[in-house]
Amino acid sequence: MAILTAEVISEFDGKVDANKLVYAPLNENASYQKTRVYFIEYAGKVTDAEQFVKRTLVDSYAEDVSFGCEPVLSGFAFFIDYGMKPGALDLEREAILASHRGARDKAMEILSLKLTQRIYIFSDGGVAPERFIRDVCNSAIHVWSVTDANDRDVA
Amino acid sequence: MEERPNALLLKFPGTNCDGETARALEVAGFVTEVLPITRVTELALEAAHLVVLSGGFSYGDYVMAGRLAQLETERKLGDSLIRFRDKGGYLLGICNGFQILTKLGFLPRGSLINNTSGRFICHWTGLKREVSGNPFMNGLPESFELPVAHAEGRFIAPEGAAKSYLAKGLVALTYSSDINGSSSAIAGLTDESGRVLGLMPHPERFLWACNHYDPDWQGDGSEWGWGYMMFKSIHDTIAAELAVVSV
Repeated sequence: MAILTAEVISEFDGKVDANKLVYAPLNENASYQKTRVYFIEYAGKVTDAEQFVKRTLVDSYAEDVSFGCEPVLSGFAFFIDYGMKPGALDLEREAILASHRGARDKAMEILSLKLTQRIYIFSDGGVAPERFIRDVCNSAIHVWSVTDANDRDVA
Repeated sequence: MEERPNALLLKFPGTNCDGETARALEVAGFVTEVLPITRVTELALEAAHLVVLSGGFSYGDYVMAGRLAQLETERKLGDSLIRFRDKGGYLLGICNGFQILTKLGFLPRGSLINNTSGRFICHWTGLKREVSGNPFMNGLPESFELPVAHAEGRFIAPEGAAKSYLAKGLVALTYSSDINGSSSAIAGLTDESGRVLGLMPHPERFLWACNHYDPDWQGDGSEWGWGYMMFKSIHDTIAAELAVVSV
């Protein structure tokens, strides 16, 4: 049993004005970029797990994947990871698991899957994460964490 | 009596344009069967002359539009669709169907990703027909309009490939303005045989002239819209082939 972390980033969608994320204009200049992060607990070879990610979860023409826990981007003020609460129905996770269960020649077994959306916030000023959490995350269904540039959990 | 061509419309969980598309196929003259992907067999393919993947949000567009449908189709049909095409069958993918056909590798290499706006767009758009003699395009003028409705409609291709697709006649349709950031404004692609067509616009939503947003729209003066012409074109092509075979 092992865990594979995969972060998928678009090759075509770069940084965008962070005002698109919030309901009221920001006082600071800030931009954001989104990625997807998959945490896969699996039984089998790591090469097979990586192959599953590349074949199922990544668009080879439009996306890059990075394996491991290091963030794929740098120079950010912080990033927010948010996903469905444990116990809440995560339809995307269920669709991926159902697709994998239906595969004939499974080289590895997925024991559990967690997926989160990651939003990197870039800013020269002192932009705070609270505004983004309030407007992006839904406390009824989401859990989230905020990590700063020094790899500290700040929310 | 003239044999009516058979169309097989494959439906995935989340496909939601199957009703209109089946109606369009019937109106154009096809005998149409709508089959969920779980029930499709090679036998069903053998009876079909045209296989259609209609629009919608297969598997909720999870991961990326068309990916889970691609995997399920490969599992369920293996190489059957390739054999179907190689034996002279026709394939049509509309919107989500275009995304699926692209991921299945039936169309020139590339992918359909999020619109540059990052938003779902839903409006009418001007289109330019880039090919002549394509079995899906007979009767269509050089410029016409169809509705679009998509979030992941920006076609991207490996460096320089989009222009080569245009030069090789693989681009069937282009947008008359940049609505989603597609390379070379590509709205529809065909394969080298011309028997596979994928397009983002929705021809099934413009069957009759009265579907047009302008109540005074005249078109070619008939009761039909441009979308109908597309279905009629492929119907007439297949019907002509069947007539030759039966003689």
